[in-house]
Amino acid sequence: MKPYGVVAALLAASVWVAPLSGAHAAGGSVRVAGEIIDSWCYLTEIMYPLGTAHHQCAVWCAAGGVPVGILSDDGTPYILLSFQGNAQSVTDPALLDLQTHHVVLEGQTFERDGMHYLVADRLVEDHGIINMTHEDYGIQPFGE
Amino acid sequence: MKTLFVFLSLFLPATWSLGAFAAESWGLPEEEKTRFEAKVVDALCELTGNCVEQCGGGKRQLGLLNGEGKLILPLKNVTPFAGATVELLEFCGKQVIADGLFSTNRGVQVFALQFVREAPDGEWRRANRFAGQWAEANGVDAKSKTAQQWFRHDPAVLKVIGRDGKLGTGQ
Repeated sequence: MKPYGVVAALLAASVWVAPLSGAHAAGGSVRVAGEIIDSWCYLTEIMYPLGTAHHQCAVWCAAGGVPVGILSDDGTPYILLSFQGNAQSVTDPALLDLQTHHVVLEGQTFERDGMHYLVADRLVEDHGIINMTHEDYGIQPFGE
Repeated sequence: MKTLFVFLSLFLPATWSLGAFAAESWGLPEEEKTRFEAKVVDALCELTGNCVEQCGGGKRQLGLLNGEGKLILPLKNVTPFAGATVELLEFCGKQVIADGLFSTNRGVQVFALQFVREAPDGEWRRANRFAGQWAEANGVDAKSKTAQQWFRHDPAVLKVIGRDGKLGTGQ
């Protein structure tokens, strides 16, 4: 049985140290790296929806109760249903503060009827706003 | 064309005259007018079993569970920059008729709620309650320009934008 145990350990280790480019298993939960987004503007693409160009609009929408999401680095959008143990997913002040930031979140993912959801237990890393899109897109949606 | 879409989806909904209780186009990608019956559920409860009374009292995103068991998460109501929880909360656990738009883009179908009524024959109402509730909470006239442009006056928004700037970078 011992070789199987070694193989299992190596496989487990390979998952643990896998580069973070989307959602990866991490001891029963997953880590998702990506940009905090306004789900409506991103998914309908009614305007340029990412980075500094869209920051103000994303704050407006989060304050208005539009679901906040995270666009993972692998391109999967997740709706955040809970953040750091707080199940207030409507107008959570902590999520207003994180809009547009590139972060690493740890929690549980769910997929249901084509929509991805994340229950984020922990903010692992906050890289701040790194997506400087205003130079190309101005301020969305009104230019001011 | 994108500017037109933005205008239609963010502003016309708040001002159109209500001729019929039926969805109107916002020019969204792969847009589909729809009307369906569904149960209003707490999305977190539905997915994880983490349930609280009254669907979280307005603090949790609410979903629509249709007769086939499909969970539809409304992302939008018809108030500019506002979501649908405020429109659905009083129907927690009840069947409603939801009227609005499906839009499919980036491989995901989303739903915008424009009208809602309790099933089977409740009174239709437009999904525009956010601004009125915001006005009441902030002590302003619900018909004022301040209430219509609530997003430019909301204390939480002013705090974040005042601190970090419109770009979020402190500029």
